Amino acid sequence: MYLTREEERILDGEYGWACQVCMRILVKLGELYGATRLIPISSAHISGISYKTIGDAAVNFLNAIIEKGAKTRVFSTLNPSSIDPCLVDRLSKGLVEKQREILKLYEMMGAKLSLSCTPYYEYAPPKNSNLAWAESSAVVYANSILGAWTNREGAPSALASAIIGKTPNYGVHQSENRKPSILIDVQFQPKDEVEYGALGYYVGRIAEDKIPFLRGLKNPSLDELKQLGAALASSGMVSMFHYGKEQRLTDKLEVVTVEGEEIKAVMDELSPSKFTPDMIFIGCPHCSLKEIEMLANLVQGKKLKDNIEFWVCVSRYVKNKGEKFIEIIKDSGAKVLTDTCAVVTWTDKLGIKKIMTNSVKAAHYLPTMNKAEVILASMRECVKIAYE
Amino acid sequence: MKILKGRVIVSGGRLQGEALVSRMPISFLGGVDPATGVIIEKGHDLNGKCVKDKILCFPHGHGSTVGSYVMYALAKNGLAPRAILNEKADPVVVVGAVLAEIPMMDKIKIEEIRTGDILEIDCEEGIVKILESKPCI
Repeated sequence: MYLTREEERILDGEYGWACQVCMRILVKLGELYGATRLIPISSAHISGISYKTIGDAAVNFLNAIIEKGAKTRVFSTLNPSSIDPCLVDRLSKGLVEKQREILKLYEMMGAKLSLSCTPYYEYAPPKNSNLAWAESSAVVYANSILGAWTNREGAPSALASAIIGKTPNYGVHQSENRKPSILIDVQFQPKDEVEYGALGYYVGRIAEDKIPFLRGLKNPSLDELKQLGAALASSGMVSMFHYGKEQRLTDKLEVVTVEGEEIKAVMDELSPSKFTPDMIFIGCPHCSLKEIEMLANLVQGKKLKDNIEFWVCVSRYVKNKGEKFIEIIKDSGAKVLTDTCAVVTWTDKLGIKKIMTNSVKAAHYLPTMNKAEVILASMRECVKIAYE
Repeated sequence: MKILKGRVIVSGGRLQGEALVSRMPISFLGGVDPATGVIIEKGHDLNGKCVKDKILCFPHGHGSTVGSYVMYALAKNGLAPRAILNEKADPVVVVGAVLAEIPMMDKIKIEEIRTGDILEIDCEEGIVKILESKPCI
């Protein structure tokens, strides 16, 4: 791998240990995957923020590099943490303090406390710009919908790229690696965002590390594609998908047909039984302004039933932008949370065991990460259950 | 004496140690306790074994990328393996070995190595020598 003189100096430790260890991460990954050089990035999105998921091991490392002067070199956003102001009193002091310590460390490094899995609502990366983003749902959204270029970074490699301001040029940073390699012929019409998610989940499994081209989707909304992409990344290793009609891209590809049956099987697997939920969770990935508006229209003038919590998770940015919708949602009795979501906080410690959600990604993670039973239902159905 | 060849991922000169071999992938996050160095993943073939000072041999890593930070914590706590031998390097273990400064090689036929074997590895040239092989039982 070719390194500039300055990059070599960083690797040799002339700029201190923090930069050196970050450069070593990028060079080792670059060598492993056949990169030829490092390329500048327009932003980094760092995962590994929630104390629940990273624990003390990561705190030690963050402390060590900050002590040695680590600073972000490019605009860097952060994934959700484990706390929102409204949860602080419901969780133990120890956990809250640990989380605050982590946030302080990232802030000292110069990262923006965006604390959202949807950094693209606040900062849409320029088309064709190179990024180093962790958070698989944001990676898929950036590559497939926004046309920016990023590999599926892990927590440490996104952090290293934030500090160096570069990423090795392997994987989907090469245009020949962004071409579709499997054609998915969608022979049914998903009826809501949950079915789009289930489709993504199914495709993620069969595509493995191949880039799918989905043919047959009829005018999906950006929010439906967000659900599809998030689910695709939960069940598979891909970092992007294609959709539309462009026949020329799909000549000579392996073809897999997906019908309603396959989607029903995914739904039955992720949502095996019917029950009355303790909680409804909307906002995995964090809601868009449009989703907040839709939800506000659905709950306007209604009152949430007793004995059920309704969580709506958004970025601080969307919360500020959609203030009037947020007020309507709050007035109905739902909670609007920023900085976190039901997956990365301790819902089990809050006594929540049964969760209804419209997110297939959340349905994938909640049983193992939160010891919760899950039932999948669209936003519309969730509102019916909780309000009527 | 059997000699295996591999590819150096994180160099670390020549060293000797006792092999601890798994036939299963290891997830460091949730699979290894950074406070004790013990493998805690349920159903894992090394469950209950401590990785400290061992030449840890396993096919590859899996699971969360936060696992790299767990490897760093193991090293800070003095519980890191002396070296890592993989069949196929994956980003979680590579980054973890960089952070923790654990010598690492991949492309090693780990089925040739058994737990308890005494190995001498040259983590510059990519050579593993099985000095003492544990007899088959």
